Amino acid sequence: MEAEKEERLWFKFTGYLTLALSYIKFNLKSQWEYRGAFLSQMVAMAANNCVWVAFWALFFTRFPVLRGWGVEDVITLWAVAATGFGLAHSVCGNALALPWIIARGQLDVWMLYPRALLSHVLLGSMSATSCGDTVFGFFVYLAFVRPDLPHLLLFVVLSISVAFLFVGFSILTGSLTFFLGNAEGLAEQWRFSMITFSTYPATLFEGVVKIILYTLIPAAFVSYLPIVALKEMSMYYTALTLAGSFAVLAIGSAVFYLGLRRYESGNLLEMRG
Amino acid sequence: MKHAVELEELRKTFVVKTGKGLKRENKEVVAVDSISLKVEEGQSVAFVGPNGAGKSTTIKMLTGILTPSAGSARVLGYVPWKERSKLTRSIGAVFGQRSQLWYHLPPRDTFELLGRIYNIDRKRFAERRDQLIERFAMNEYLDTQVRKLSLGQRMRAEVAASLLHFPRVLFLDEPTIGLDVIARQELRDLIREWNQEEGLTVFLTSHDAGDIESVAKRVIIINHGQLVLDDSVSKVKRHYLGSKLLSVKFRAEPTPFSIDGVELVKSSYHAMKLEVDTDKVEIDTVIKEILKAAPVADITIENPPLESVIAHIYSQPKESVQSSDV
Repeated sequence: MEAEKEERLWFKFTGYLTLALSYIKFNLKSQWEYRGAFLSQMVAMAANNCVWVAFWALFFTRFPVLRGWGVEDVITLWAVAATGFGLAHSVCGNALALPWIIARGQLDVWMLYPRALLSHVLLGSMSATSCGDTVFGFFVYLAFVRPDLPHLLLFVVLSISVAFLFVGFSILTGSLTFFLGNAEGLAEQWRFSMITFSTYPATLFEGVVKIILYTLIPAAFVSYLPIVALKEMSMYYTALTLAGSFAVLAIGSAVFYLGLRRYESGNLLEMRG
Repeated sequence: MKHAVELEELRKTFVVKTGKGLKRENKEVVAVDSISLKVEEGQSVAFVGPNGAGKSTTIKMLTGILTPSAGSARVLGYVPWKERSKLTRSIGAVFGQRSQLWYHLPPRDTFELLGRIYNIDRKRFAERRDQLIERFAMNEYLDTQVRKLSLGQRMRAEVAASLLHFPRVLFLDEPTIGLDVIARQELRDLIREWNQEEGLTVFLTSHDAGDIESVAKRVIIINHGQLVLDDSVSKVKRHYLGSKLLSVKFRAEPTPFSIDGVELVKSSYHAMKLEVDTDKVEIDTVIKEILKAAPVADITIENPPLESVIAHIYSQPKESVQSSDV
């Protein structure tokens, strides 16, 4: 009985893994249909990130230490944030489009499939610019920090954790649409503030702002805890980073399924793609 | 006989905000008002009604997308909004205004992905896909991006995609919307074939009377969220309106005549089209008068088009409409 249950679980897990890989394959194929646009968006995003890294590099030539952080820490921060954000929306591109999907009644199509609704919707598209973020993040970390193998492995783990955090945060903000109706603007603003705070060292902020960075805008799980974890190879900070990400993901998912009860569908003409 | 779809007093209300500025009030709007019906497995049913009648809302409740405000429903034994995941393995759905095909990819890729979504055994999937490609004559555009297909080709691919996982019930919400005459007929033929040969239960909504006549055996009409008629398509056509259309071609100019219960629909020099109210006058009485008017070259007696019947039913108060079990 127990073995049968385990086998069913394993079958379910491999089924979802195969499905996720299929979505990545077909999303890439769909993007590749317009390869010029895809590549230029990737390059543009990577170039945009490079400008910021260059800014910080220049800053640290004038002021070598900023509240205990050096240039390598800030580059690590950018690498983790970009890779995490990139991975999140390369694989789960619909996380960014969730308010739009809900407001226009586009969940209908997804609800007709025998798959867990939220994870299935998230996998449904890929953001081209996010692919640029992922490539940029890895490249910057490898080229400028030059990590050894343990650091590189921890970087991968933390980037995946940050990816879960970004996905969870996008779900949370996007699901407000269930309750507020057209909340696309609010979700976008909230998400932007998260991205902005994620790219500045959290050590810059104190007091109320610091509390906000662990709660309403949980950027500290991107711009502080993972960086300290990598710097000190600390399992404690790694665990805190993972816990924060999974908490945000769990809250986001709970809000989504709570809101789903209020879903009212729609009648717009739409295509997938 | 097993029932594929069972509805018992199914009701759905929405809350809409009315008023201007700060004086906004919540108002309850009834979309579906206590509908009860049963559909046997293998039956093909047209579920029709004017815009806003509650058709799409009913289909959305039957597919588990919306939760009803009251009442109950079972599709293939499952409560749709509670057992959506299990139900979706056994039903297919085609929404004419929503696509499940990937716009930038060819239908073959969507089929492949659907195979993964439904976790269909690879051998079984390949056999089914090939069967659908052949039956829906999709070979020549299977590898063409969906954005480059005609609407007719796209809808064929859409229906084929919805059949890939061997559904037992197919919900079709205005599948022929926007299609030309030929594409529309091809799609109707395919749906009918699948219903008759594979025993697929078809639940169709459409504004096109041709869809209903070609595909369905039974028609259920709803208006203002309420069921106003439930009968076989042939019975509705034969009996409901209580009128016949007579088209007559004369060999000479007919002498004018007038009969109570007969209305002249169209006339030319040697021909006329009459609508006969069979409750007021017998057909043979009308024919006798026609034969007296002038020598007749040709005469045909037809039922009025289903479209007129449906339009007539839409305009009737609920009490005056007959309903019977099929």
